[in-house]
Amino acid sequence: MSTELKKALYNISALADLGQAITSESVFHEKIQSVFYVITGTFLANKGAILSYDKSSNRLNTLTQKGFPQADLDRVDPEKLMALGKNEPCPIGDGPLSPVSGAEIVTPLWVGDGFIGVLFLSGKLTGGPYTEEELELLNVIAHQIAIALNNHTLFMDLSDKLEENRRLYEEMRHIYHGTLQAFAAAIDAKDAYTQNHSYRVAKYSAAIARELGWSEHDIEGMYVAGYLHDVGKLAISNDLLNKVTPFTPAERMEIRKHSTTSHEITSKIKFPWKNVQDMVWHHHERLDGRGYPEALAHESLSDGVRILSLADSFDAMTSQRPYRKKMDVQSAIGELKKCLESQFDNKILLVFCKVLEKEIKGELPEPDILPHLDRNSDLSVISSMLEAIIQELSAP
Amino acid sequence: MKSAPFSVASKLVGDAAVIYPKGYLNNLSGESLVKECGIYIGKGITKIVVNFSETDLINSIGISLLLQIIEDLKNIKGTICCTNMSKFLRDTFEMLGLIQYMVVFSAESDALEYLNTGKR
Repeated sequence: MSTELKKALYNISALADLGQAITSESVFHEKIQSVFYVITGTFLANKGAILSYDKSSNRLNTLTQKGFPQADLDRVDPEKLMALGKNEPCPIGDGPLSPVSGAEIVTPLWVGDGFIGVLFLSGKLTGGPYTEEELELLNVIAHQIAIALNNHTLFMDLSDKLEENRRLYEEMRHIYHGTLQAFAAAIDAKDAYTQNHSYRVAKYSAAIARELGWSEHDIEGMYVAGYLHDVGKLAISNDLLNKVTPFTPAERMEIRKHSTTSHEITSKIKFPWKNVQDMVWHHHERLDGRGYPEALAHESLSDGVRILSLADSFDAMTSQRPYRKKMDVQSAIGELKKCLESQFDNKILLVFCKVLEKEIKGELPEPDILPHLDRNSDLSVISSMLEAIIQELSAP
Repeated sequence: MKSAPFSVASKLVGDAAVIYPKGYLNNLSGESLVKECGIYIGKGITKIVVNFSETDLINSIGISLLLQIIEDLKNIKGTICCTNMSKFLRDTFEMLGLIQYMVVFSAESDALEYLNTGKR
């Protein structure tokens, strides 16, 4: 086989090496380093550099290089490179560039009308000029590198935009939650006895939903429903809400309107979560159909409604009200258990007990229920009670 | 078929380092060969024998790495001897003109003898 043929085969295999380096699953800097080795190995150049063009700063950044003074590379003017032929190898001596010590060939990298970067190569170790065939090969290689660099730039731009969108979304979400909290505080402020009630109901509901294995998105929807479940109380007079003596039948009817009003208010909001309106509307329904406003029962009540109903009742029982003292935690749990089947769902109470038990045992990094319970509660007694209920409700 | 990962072993024989590359010299893992030689050069060793008995194939990346070793030794007026080369390796080095920068022997012992006595 003649040397020319062997050289041609070597060049073809070098192109294959280049393709493999560019399409490998390696990280970008490893790809570029492999590409760099393919080029210097193909032309036996002992010095070389690949620089990428940063359009925003109008500067060239060195991606990899060997043997050239970095200061020389830093001085390269991209504008002058752009005047040269696209992906055309050009002897440095002929060009308008400031000298890069040791560089013999410069190849500006282009994709379409976009200037991407530049490739510098020294003379060959074996001496002698680059042949026409070698310059043609370098032109082909330059096209490939330009496309690889351009793809990386596009990918990085997209990644930056994605990150920016993610940041903006988080910011919006933060503002949204802040607004909800302010709104919930306004609801709770109407009634001196229900301070932070909406906040706690939101926390308890989300904790139950999480234990049930809901997705983060659905948990957030549950949280929002907890915050807004009493928004309809804004339409009820402060005097009625804070009344110390028992309600008259007419007053009770008026109070009971709040869940429908909550539904009417929330229906005007286009939530990204499903069922928020349903949950706030029906949080006073009961499994036995004796709740309000629609006296729905069993299958008509979603898990979200059942969670909100239990969380709301538990917080109401463990909070001071104008017409009664607050219950201790054990009594409130006992009351929830007493009302199983008629008012509350077995599965939801079981999950509620499991979460609270985990929080008492310190198994959850950020407890949602325990921090809001009476500090004088005897946790060992509560824990025993919870264990018994869990065992009973878990039995087949 | 996936080739075995490239690795390098070495030993010092007198004032010469003998390097044993193993595997296909075709990707970034071949940088370990340059690094291994660099360690000896850093210690003042100027004679290096590369025993290619377990490296049959090389591509442009491997050539580039070998080029670095040749360059590093050239800068300190050192000598690189290549031994136990397959026909493919020898043909490739000849075709590229690299053979003029190395002393080629069929056996490692011959290379060490040459480096010790200066005689072939």
